[in-house]
Amino acid sequence: MLAKVVSFGLKGVDGYKIDIETDVSNGLPHFEIVGLADTAIKESKERVRSAIKNSAFEYPIKRITVNLAPADMKKEGAVYDLGIAIAILSCNEENGIKNEKDFAYLGELSFDGTVKKIKGVMPLLISARNLGFKKFIVPEQNCQEASFISGIEVYGVKSLTQTVKFLKGEEEILPVKPCKFEDISAKQNYQLDFSHVKGQKMAKRALEIAAAGGHNLLMIGPPGSGKSMLAKCFPTILPDLTFEEALEVTKIHSIAGELDLKQGIVCTRPFRSPHHTASTVSLTGGGSNSKPGEISLAHNGVLFLDEFPEYTRHTIETLRQPLEDGVITVARSNATITYPANFTLIASMNPCPCGNYGSKDRECKCSPAQIAKYLSKLSGPIMDRIDIHIEVENVTYSQLKSQVEEESSSVIKARVDKARAIQLERFINDKIFSNSKMSAIQTKKYCNLDSEGELLLKNAFERLKLSARAHDRLLRVARTIADLEGEQNILARHIAEAISYRSLDRKYF
Amino acid sequence: MNEKQLLIYFLSQFDLAANKVEEILSELDEDFSFSKLCSVKLDKIVSSAAAEKILSLASKEYAKIYLENLKELGIKLICKLDEAFPEKLLPLEESPFFLFYKGDLSLLKMPSIAIVGSRMPSAYGRMVSERFARELAQNGVAIISGLAYGVDSIAHRAALECGGKTIAVLGSGLNNIYPAQHSDLAREIAEKGLLLSEYCPSSSATKYSFPARNRIIAGLSDGVLITEASLKSGTLYTRDFALDYGKDVYAVPGNIDNPKSALPNEIICSGQGMGVSSSKAILENLHIENCQKQKTNLQLSFEEDIVVKLLETGAKELEEIEKKSNLPINILSSCLTMLEIRGIISRMPGGLFCLK
Repeated sequence: MLAKVVSFGLKGVDGYKIDIETDVSNGLPHFEIVGLADTAIKESKERVRSAIKNSAFEYPIKRITVNLAPADMKKEGAVYDLGIAIAILSCNEENGIKNEKDFAYLGELSFDGTVKKIKGVMPLLISARNLGFKKFIVPEQNCQEASFISGIEVYGVKSLTQTVKFLKGEEEILPVKPCKFEDISAKQNYQLDFSHVKGQKMAKRALEIAAAGGHNLLMIGPPGSGKSMLAKCFPTILPDLTFEEALEVTKIHSIAGELDLKQGIVCTRPFRSPHHTASTVSLTGGGSNSKPGEISLAHNGVLFLDEFPEYTRHTIETLRQPLEDGVITVARSNATITYPANFTLIASMNPCPCGNYGSKDRECKCSPAQIAKYLSKLSGPIMDRIDIHIEVENVTYSQLKSQVEEESSSVIKARVDKARAIQLERFINDKIFSNSKMSAIQTKKYCNLDSEGELLLKNAFERLKLSARAHDRLLRVARTIADLEGEQNILARHIAEAISYRSLDRKYF
Repeated sequence: MNEKQLLIYFLSQFDLAANKVEEILSELDEDFSFSKLCSVKLDKIVSSAAAEKILSLASKEYAKIYLENLKELGIKLICKLDEAFPEKLLPLEESPFFLFYKGDLSLLKMPSIAIVGSRMPSAYGRMVSERFARELAQNGVAIISGLAYGVDSIAHRAALECGGKTIAVLGSGLNNIYPAQHSDLAREIAEKGLLLSEYCPSSSATKYSFPARNRIIAGLSDGVLITEASLKSGTLYTRDFALDYGKDVYAVPGNIDNPKSALPNEIICSGQGMGVSSSKAILENLHIENCQKQKTNLQLSFEEDIVVKLLETGAKELEEIEKKSNLPINILSSCLTMLEIRGIISRMPGGLFCLK
């Protein structure tokens, strides 16, 4: 007896169709799964057998062969358990399952027949819908995630028995009710707010500019000056995620198994801060079971690298492609996968290994050679991709205890949103969304300077010894500053402010 | 070039002490030929290794190649017997016999002040080193220092930035700049000032070469200014040499609790030198009229004026300026950059601003 059901597998962030073909024939009792299955799938025969038996169905004492087609793609995970079990059960006519082909199945089985949650439901369903599939049976726990995808019917099941009853029409399950993204995202709150950060006016202003123009930013400051706190507040002033962005983010988080299943969708901008001991692969993604890395989990959000020079040089250098293209391509022996990785990089570092270089009241114990070595970890190409560097100073006790009302995130965010709107309009034909992504040609086109600004820039390069690579970065940042003010043209004062965010280009380091 | 000159210059490549060179020359007995040099019992004067090396290389042809190489490197050489040798060094007991140099030797005739100090100065040390170097250089004083990290390089840079003259005396060969990070600075000094060393171009720096070059710094200058140095600093040597040679020693007073101001404070307290709070006193001692430009004719905008007035009461951090000036942060940072570009204020690591 032959049965065929449909399931879906993941490649990168996209799903592809998998046919689960099951043949139950006479012969010595045997169970074989073919089709480049990994260990988790090979082991699924034990789960499937126990689940069928413990759900009070008859397990055929025959020769069972399961093929996962296409046979040349390596398949991973326990997603196919439910599909295999249904295929085996429908081979036995006594079970009375006739419409098994109407649905696609996703779900892992437990020994007692319970259907357990799986990773990656969102990307699988989106791809399946795009391939023309309409009806799905998924674990009940994953229903919320599925409710944001329009144009499909999703049925959540708790157990194998329930699934069979549903297929036979003995039990009714209502398709998942579509959820509105706006309803959920409106309820979302960040736990931090810029009004909690005392002082640090300069840093706040720089972060506002970074948020408005999508610029990457580096904070240099002594330990305990609040760099991490500032970075954590950064997502609160970024524009809200749009539904499309949220879907992209959710796809990746779903694959990595980091999604909050009760909510089913990510509606705040992700903030990722991997520790500096993180391996290169954990940052970029990949590995034998290819998984998105930290930089992809930070997609459409913020990647915060604290103690930037402490990361291995190799790890830092791998950020080059994603910072430029917004994607990371991981090539492995069995596949080449591209994950989205369009994030804002916020990095922080001490001015020297001991952290007190340049401090007014604490003595730096590092030798000049040590400082030079510490700073040399940041290569030119990486610094080229960071538009804003600022120095963060220590906060004094009186600032900490000050009663002055600090500006709240929502006020800053309103300004950022306005500046972003200007940029969207400007780049309507350019396929980019923010000033930071302007190419050299676009910079020339959109960053015109008047003679006063030109003169200022020239003087600045001579007097302040800025490095040549700073030129275009400066203009882009100045463009954002002008946008924040709603100015059509870049004025001299915008350039001057932009120059103050280039501290690492100065020779005194 | 006659054989005598050739022979003398030939000896410059062995980094011999001045008295050894003189001894060898006197052994030659007025016969300055390479054949005579080979017959001298050199191992009685210098170490046997050095003697062997001299003997193995001693030939007219080799000496010519050596000088040709120096020329290609752009390095010039003078010895004590030449007329151009700096007069200030001649009376010194430990005067070097050879000097390698790049740049303009006539700078040695200018009035000069050596500015020396810690390799890791505090913000205050940076500020005053920069200020003294600039003000002195603007008034036609050549700034002498040792191209080291910290005060040395700050003084050199400040002098160059305002178009003044500066002289760097190295503790290593001219073709082997130490610290290597200052190669760019050395190149600039060679172009616009003078780079000096008593060591053969390929020599590397040793533990002893730095105290030794300090005697040249002290010897060449008309006075030594110590801005910031601890009691264990190498600057001690410069002070001692300067006192030995009868040069004026100036010190910038500092916080008595700051270990980096310990040496200048001690100099002032013990009466070894003169405490100075501005370049005026030094210029007066050098009989130079202070022709520094007055700052009154500056045209400042409303905001700039506020900032400058604030900074007149001392160096301040950005947060403090922001608080006291009540200017919005974007206006303030653009205003600070403008002032910096115009050369009115300077910005130091750690976000500290001060008037120039």
